[in-house]
Amino acid sequence: MMRAAQLSLSGIGLALAIAISLPVAMAGGGGQALPPETIEADVSARSVSVEADFTGTEIVVFGTVENSRQPSAEAGTYDIIIVVEGTSVPHVMRRKSNIGGIWINTKSVRFASLPSYYAIASTRPIADITDGPVLTQHEIGLDYVRMVQSGGGRTQPTDAAELEEFRKAVVRLKQRDGLYVQSDYAVAFVGRSLFRTTIKVPPNVPIGALKAKVYLFREGVLLGEYASEVALARVGIERFLHDFAHRNGVWYGLGVVLFAVGAGLASSFAFRRD
Amino acid sequence: MYVYLPIAEMPVHVPLFLALGGMIGFLSGLFGVGGGFLLTPLMIFLGIPPAVAVGTSAAHIVATSVSGAMTQYRRNNVDLKMGAVMLSGGVVGTVIGVEAVRLLRKAGVFDVTVSLTYMVFLGVVGTLMMIESLNTWRHARATGSAKTRGSGQHSFVDGLPFKMRFKRSKLYISAIPPIIIGMFVGFMAAIMGVGGGFFIIPAMIYLLRMPTSVVVGTSLFQILFVAALATLLQAIQNKSVDVVLALLLIIGGVIGAQLGTLAARRLHGEALRGLLAILVLLVAMRMGYDLVAAPSELYNFGPFQVGR
Repeated sequence: MMRAAQLSLSGIGLALAIAISLPVAMAGGGGQALPPETIEADVSARSVSVEADFTGTEIVVFGTVENSRQPSAEAGTYDIIIVVEGTSVPHVMRRKSNIGGIWINTKSVRFASLPSYYAIASTRPIADITDGPVLTQHEIGLDYVRMVQSGGGRTQPTDAAELEEFRKAVVRLKQRDGLYVQSDYAVAFVGRSLFRTTIKVPPNVPIGALKAKVYLFREGVLLGEYASEVALARVGIERFLHDFAHRNGVWYGLGVVLFAVGAGLASSFAFRRD
Repeated sequence: MYVYLPIAEMPVHVPLFLALGGMIGFLSGLFGVGGGFLLTPLMIFLGIPPAVAVGTSAAHIVATSVSGAMTQYRRNNVDLKMGAVMLSGGVVGTVIGVEAVRLLRKAGVFDVTVSLTYMVFLGVVGTLMMIESLNTWRHARATGSAKTRGSGQHSFVDGLPFKMRFKRSKLYISAIPPIIIGMFVGFMAAIMGVGGGFFIIPAMIYLLRMPTSVVVGTSLFQILFVAALATLLQAIQNKSVDVVLALLLIIGGVIGAQLGTLAARRLHGEALRGLLAILVLLVAMRMGYDLVAAPSELYNFGPFQVGR
C-alpha cells in the first residue's frame, strides 16, 4: 500500500513537471514537429536477498513516457511491454514413447541456454500491440523466447516440426511450474505518462540476475526501450550453506552424516527407559 | 511456516516435512527398514528434485537407523560380527553402484532403470513376504501355534567354504552369502536411494536363517553404515544432499523411529511382516502403474549440469 501511494505521488510530480516543460519544448520546435517520445523506467529493487524465509518476491517495474502526447491515462495512445527474464541455463527436454508397453524417454533436445524464468506483462495482448517480425527480433513473448539449441545428442530429432514441438513443450512445462508467465493488461498507466506493473517472482526461480526490459510502442512502432537488472542472490546462512556444499563437498557430507548420527543418538538417549 | 532450501533452491512447508520424516521414522522403527523406498518417491511427489530426494533420503536413513540400532544394541539384538561381514561387501557394492549411476545417467536411461528395479524388487520381495506371512498365519490357525525354525533344515548356503561362527546368531556358516548380500544392498542403496532393509531382512531370514530376534537390529546396523557412505558420496559427487531438508526430516524421523520401536514390541512378528509386505507391494504397484500408464505429459525436463 505504502509503495503504491508513493508511486502515484511521484507520478503526479512527474506529470506536473512534464506539463510545465511541454509548452517550452513546443515553442522551441516552432509548434510544428512534436518532440519524440522516449522512455525511462526502473525497478523497485535493484537486489533481492534469498534468505531462509524466501517465498518469492514482487518487483514493481515503473517508468514514464517523456513527451507524452497521451491526453489521459485511459487514452491508450501508447503500449508498454515489460519483460523480466531470469538467468539463462542449459536444459535437457526429453520425450517419452511407448516401447513394449513401457513409457521410456526416447528423444531429447539439449538447449545450451534458455531463460530459467520469463515473465511478460503488457498493456494489452502483445499480438494486438505489434506484429510478428518486431516481436521475433526483440524476443518478446512466449512464442519468441530465445532458446539456443546445442548440437550433439544421439537422440536429437532433426525434423523442424518435431523441434518446434520440443520448444512448445519447454514453454508449456515452464508455465506449469509458474516460471513462464504472460499477463496481458497487467501494465497500467497512472496519469498521462507514468506507467507501472507488478511482476510476481515465484520462490522456485533459479538464483541469478533478473533482466528487466521495458518497450514503448505507439501504433505498432517501437519508440524506445529501457533495460535494468535486479540482482537475486543468496545471503546469510543460505549463501554459506550453498557455497560450503559446493566448495567443500567432503566436509559438508561429513557434517551432514555427523549431524544425522548425533540427532539419532540424542533421541535414542532422550527416549532411554532402561 | 516455510523455509527455503539452500541446495534444492525452493521453499518447503515445515510442518509437512516434519510429519513426513516422522511417518517414515515410525515405519523404520516398526519394521527395522530404513524407509527410503517410501521416502524417496514421496519427496519427489512433493516437488523435491529427484537427485536431491535420493541424496537427502540417505541422510535421513542414517539418523533413523542410528536411533533404532542403538535401541536394538542395548537390547543385545545386534550381531556385530555378522553386520561387519555384510558391511565389507556393502562398501564395495555402494562404490560399484555409484559408478553404475553415472554410466546410466550418461546413457539417459537412469529414470527407467530406477522405476523398473523398484517395481521388480519390491514386487518380488513383497509377494514372497506376503505368501510367507499368510502361510504362517494359516498354519498358526490350524495348529494353534506359530511354526518355528527347524534345526534340521539345510540349504545351499551350508555347502559353501570360508565358514565362520556367528555366536549371537547361533550360526556356523560361510562368509560368502553375507558378503554377497551386503554387496547387493550397497549397490541398491546407490541406485535406488534406499537403505535396502526390504531386501536384507528377508535375505537374513530365508537365506541365512538368522533368528528373527537379531534380524532387525543387525539389518539396522548394516543400513546405518551403507547410508552414511551413500550420503557422503552423494554430497561429494552430485552436491545433492540438502542439509536443511535433512534437518526437517531427521527431527521428525528420530522421534517417529522411537515411537515405532515401542509399537513394534506390541505387535506380533507375523502381523508385522504382513503389514510390511502390503506396504512394499503398494509401492511396487504404484511404480509399475507409472511405467505402463499413458502419461498426461510426454515431455519432461532432464537433469542438467549447472555450469560452474
